[in-house]
Amino acid sequence: MASKWFVIKRLLLLIPVLIGISTVVFAILHLGGNDPAAVMAGQGASQEQIETIRSELGFDDPIWVQYTRFLSDVSQFDFGESYVLKPGQPVWGSILADKLPVTIELAIYGQLFGVMLGVPLGVLSAIKQNSLTDHITRIGALAGISVPIFWSGPLLIILFANILGVLPASSRIDTQYFIEGPWAFFGHELPLTGLMTIDTLLLGNIDAFVSAVEHLLLPAAVMGIYSMALISRMMRSSMLEVVRQDYIRTARAKGQGQKITMLKHGLKNAFIPVITVIGIQFGTMLGGAVLTETVFGISGLGVILVNAIQAGDYPVVQAAVLVFAMLFTLVNLTVDITYSYLDPRIQQ
Amino acid sequence: MSTQTQQRRRRRGIRGFIHRLRHSRFLSNLAANRLAMIGLLIITLMVVIALYARIFIGGVGPIEGYYGEIMGSNLSGNADMAKAPPSPKYPFGLDGQARSIFPRVLFGSWLALKWGTVTVAVSTVLGVSFGVIAAYYSDLVDNVVMRTMDVLLAFPSLLLALALVSILGSGLQNAVVALILVYTPRFARVVRGAALAVLEDEYIDATIAIGAKDFRVLARHVVPNCLAPVTVQSTLNFGLAIIDLAALSFLGFGAKEGAPSWGMMLSAGVENGLHSAWWWPFFPGLALALTVLGFNLLGDGMRDALDPRMRDAID
Repeated sequence: MASKWFVIKRLLLLIPVLIGISTVVFAILHLGGNDPAAVMAGQGASQEQIETIRSELGFDDPIWVQYTRFLSDVSQFDFGESYVLKPGQPVWGSILADKLPVTIELAIYGQLFGVMLGVPLGVLSAIKQNSLTDHITRIGALAGISVPIFWSGPLLIILFANILGVLPASSRIDTQYFIEGPWAFFGHELPLTGLMTIDTLLLGNIDAFVSAVEHLLLPAAVMGIYSMALISRMMRSSMLEVVRQDYIRTARAKGQGQKITMLKHGLKNAFIPVITVIGIQFGTMLGGAVLTETVFGISGLGVILVNAIQAGDYPVVQAAVLVFAMLFTLVNLTVDITYSYLDPRIQQ
Repeated sequence: MSTQTQQRRRRRGIRGFIHRLRHSRFLSNLAANRLAMIGLLIITLMVVIALYARIFIGGVGPIEGYYGEIMGSNLSGNADMAKAPPSPKYPFGLDGQARSIFPRVLFGSWLALKWGTVTVAVSTVLGVSFGVIAAYYSDLVDNVVMRTMDVLLAFPSLLLALALVSILGSGLQNAVVALILVYTPRFARVVRGAALAVLEDEYIDATIAIGAKDFRVLARHVVPNCLAPVTVQSTLNFGLAIIDLAALSFLGFGAKEGAPSWGMMLSAGVENGLHSAWWWPFFPGLALALTVLGFNLLGDGMRDALDPRMRDAID
């Protein structure tokens, strides 16, 4: 039963954080240097026009009225209308809805890259402690944390796209593949997910799938390097801590082989703290998405955010920041709850 | 017992400080860590380069600098030199404005270290203040301060920085202010934890019992005893701050167009030289990665030297 209460407590603790996040996001529009009504009216608009727009948008209401209206709109996924990028169009429906899956796909494959390489490297490093392999892995991990995405990205593009010419340098898929839904599922028509690697498979287009994977390899690797480095470090130290526990000695004492002791008893327990790192990493990953998308010319949430800030399109900025923060919060929540099931001690 | 106390009392001031340094277990552990010493070497090298660049290129020293040459466009009359590959005369090659990349990269180290120091120093001071205050005046103050920090920590760091930049406007100074707000909560959280542990100790009760004011208790007894984890945190965050600052410049919200900051050079290099001049984005990025590696190596070694449990687990 304890776990149920833990989940409820964790959910209740989420409320002040969510209110805080939306307050910060609300402040973006109201503390920003530019007058939103003036931005929307465009250059050369008369003072009268600006005033009309201001009252139309409700910017002359008291601040707390605007704040409650903002909260109620946002809770219904209504982020208002874009000022500059697509004037008058709803921010969520016509700008962000398509971009969100792009960024999520990048983050998922980036994290996958990090976990699939980071975990084995960390375990290997711990098992062969103080060997050459260990030293190389550890120095490599520190180097991986130090390399900025906006340097490793260009370098990989130069190497794999320009010199070797084996992988594409930008965009999500080759232009000849035009992916359009809906796809049929037992006679029902369902919309596409927006994730290229899933959609191409749903439509049964293997060539397009291969192209989508090829386009994802470099961005995912660039995003995953940092994650891989952190995970391998955490995995190593967690593993080293676990192998000194009594139950490992017991396992060895009863004559169990090294391989089974390490993999069954060691890895399973050492993996628990690593899950937290993976969760926290997801936040860095989302920040990294902004840079990765810029480097690889992928039009996702990050690129839209950068464009919106440059253009002064505040509703889009607000919505993009909010969506990023929500994603991060959701992932952290999931990680905390998963963790509490895996290691019930932390529920106390 | 009493002679020991007397001895300790006699060793106050500078001599006492040196004595404590020489007998510090932390420093001897750190000095034995080869990777940490490599990190320290890299940082020292970068600081020397930064000062050299400031004095001889920035033109504040006795020798007139050639700052103008690395700032403005050099295209007039040299258009055919644009994007020339590395050569003995121009070791890092030339960029699209026919400027030598080498002195620009050198000067970039000054900008990176200067603004990195400002970011980390101010957020350390703010974080230590908030953390100590939250720990000392528990309940209401603690809750208000730490929940505010939680909200700031609920944003991915680069995104919070971008959100703040959208409020403050672009520019290097504003980017630094944004990053200070991003980094302060991290220090506050670490310091609060450390301060709570320190406040459990009996000498704090003793200090309060003899009538010390709150400020004295915090400044003389709590803060000095929290400094070890703070130093580690500062070193590790130094590298991150330099990367984040460069990232903001790279995205166009930090240094001005054409400024010799590593982030800006990378941005221009990726945009205009990715397919024709690899050296343009390569060298600024290399300098950036090397500097950050230095701080990470040192910070990592400091953390190991500080936490004996981890040290045993690692070596």
